[in-house]
Amino acid sequence: MSTVVLNPLRIVSDVWRHRYLLGQLIRRDVLLRYRGAMFGVLWIFLSPLLMLAIFAFIFGQVFQARWPQQDSGLPFWLLLYSGLITFNIFAETVSRAPASVRGYPSFVKKIIFPVNILPVVPLGAALVHAAFNFLILVAALAWAGGIHGQLLLFPLLVLPVLLLALGFSWFVAAWGVFIKDMTQILPMFVQMLMFLSPVFYPMSAVPAVLRPAYQYNPLGIAIEASRAIVTGQAINWGPWAIAFAFSLTMSILGYAFFQHSREEFADAL
Amino acid sequence: MHSDVAISVKNLSKTYRIFGHPGDRIKQALSFGRMRFHREFTALKGVSFEIRKGETVGIIGRNGSGKSTLLQLMCGILKPTSGSVQTNGRVSALLELGAGFNPEFTGRENVYFQGAVMGLKRSEIDARFDEIVGLADIGEFIDQPVRIYSSGMFVRLAFAVAVNVDPDVLIVDEALAVGDMEFQERSISRMKSLQSAGTTILLVTHAMPAVRNFCQRAIWLDNGTVVQSGEASQVCAAYQERINQDVRRQNQARGNPPTAPQEDGSAPRPGRNKIITIAKTEVETEHLHVGASLALRFLLRFSELQPAPAEFGLGVQIHNEQGRLVAIFNTIRDNVFLSGETQDISLCLPSIGFIPGRYWVSANVCDREAMFAYDEFEQCSSFEVLQEFNRKGIPRWEGEVACAHTWRW
Repeated sequence: MSTVVLNPLRIVSDVWRHRYLLGQLIRRDVLLRYRGAMFGVLWIFLSPLLMLAIFAFIFGQVFQARWPQQDSGLPFWLLLYSGLITFNIFAETVSRAPASVRGYPSFVKKIIFPVNILPVVPLGAALVHAAFNFLILVAALAWAGGIHGQLLLFPLLVLPVLLLALGFSWFVAAWGVFIKDMTQILPMFVQMLMFLSPVFYPMSAVPAVLRPAYQYNPLGIAIEASRAIVTGQAINWGPWAIAFAFSLTMSILGYAFFQHSREEFADAL
Repeated sequence: MHSDVAISVKNLSKTYRIFGHPGDRIKQALSFGRMRFHREFTALKGVSFEIRKGETVGIIGRNGSGKSTLLQLMCGILKPTSGSVQTNGRVSALLELGAGFNPEFTGRENVYFQGAVMGLKRSEIDARFDEIVGLADIGEFIDQPVRIYSSGMFVRLAFAVAVNVDPDVLIVDEALAVGDMEFQERSISRMKSLQSAGTTILLVTHAMPAVRNFCQRAIWLDNGTVVQSGEASQVCAAYQERINQDVRRQNQARGNPPTAPQEDGSAPRPGRNKIITIAKTEVETEHLHVGASLALRFLLRFSELQPAPAEFGLGVQIHNEQGRLVAIFNTIRDNVFLSGETQDISLCLPSIGFIPGRYWVSANVCDREAMFAYDEFEQCSSFEVLQEFNRKGIPRWEGEVACAHTWRW
């Protein structure tokens, strides 16, 4: 257990071995959030739609924001939404990660449990929500008359975000066990990141000096790419590959860090 | 490791690092061992033993002797500071019943979840589901959220899941002390069937009879080290003897006058200067049969500085080996009020109706309303009611009480 695991295949097999348990955990996580609520699982649709309505009003109507790609004839809110879906996968996972292990002390201390899959749970839940969001997007596109085959590439395009979120999640979950403040810091950090990432504006609107920071940011690349997919533009695979490589490294390091520090969890909780 | 060894523990030690402030942990990590921001507490030092497959082993020792730490290390929940633990096969642990249960979900959902935690596939849980529900005996509640369960139902369900996953090694920590008698019996018989099926069982408990009757071997831990390991009844007897010794020593220590003035003439420490102290207790016969008479004698000492209360009472509690309170006596309850002159008082029980086993006597001196205690003396003495056997070797006394009786036909 004390050896550092850097082999990505080993990580995949570690998680895959517990796939049924992981599935149960994610199911519990998603259902528990809506259980007992009056609208129940309907919130999976309602909350993104409400968010979208607010963002569309503020940035589309109040600020009169425009995309360069808007020649495609798609309304502003649709382009905003496509980027937001991608960002939310990261945001939801990372802001909930600090509590993913800390919130279950009995799993760490009282039963024999594969703790390493706990930080995967927020990602799983985020992906469930992303899938519903994607369905809304497809439906909206069909209504706007912009549906096309390239949309099928969406899951592939968000892969770097997924890996990045997972890597962060493992890091942050381990820190969260030792430092309670993480549960306060992370949501703030994510909020900040939302405005710093090209969610509400295209990368081309960023001043040239800062642009490299955006071009090599895997989150930014994936958000731009998911917008390109919706408008039917060609996808820039070069940056995507960089983002993928960076995110993969991040997830491997995150896992290694988590496995290294988990031995102390039982003592700290 | 040989293939017939289920658990091999080699030179195992565990030291906890205790941090005073959460930030100290970070400082410690950043200082790379050059500075110390913590205290250390060694719970286990140099423990080694092997448990063969199919063996049933009891782990005994007083509170704080390192039993729970040892179990957690064997489960792999804690990481050893030094030494190693190797286990063979699937380990199922009952460290805390229902620890992984989520109160919001139904019993059924929790069963499937617990099964998944233990590494079972959906189909495997499906196959065991009826047996689990049968053992737990909770009927239609299986489809109700666990939060509305009574504590008994909760425990039964958790136990039923843990023993139905076909563990190779079952680790049980004091879990059977809960639940009603019927369930205890059922869980014991279930564990016996696991035992005969070749499951290795580790039992941590304070109940000596359970260890004597159920385990082949016992390991006695004290202060983080193995005191004795071997045949269950021998280890239990040695452990029992040590406890009795300690009680006697404590008794003697009480007998010394604690209120003697210091050499320099200063007053004795106020904390030890109680108005009334139970100085000594005596049991007339330490080993007796059911129906025999028992007298418990208490010697009281009064403070020289303060006058004794006009009226006071003496209370006696008797606990069985499992720590259950079986009888309470108090002079006040019997309308007997003691006064300052009484120094020697005995509680006489003409015919003991307790089931065979060891009993612990605790005593206190209280005010006349029995509201507060002037002095409390826990486990001040003990006695043992002896079991008798018929010609075929069947124990004569079992159940909750042993009544004097005759047969007529």
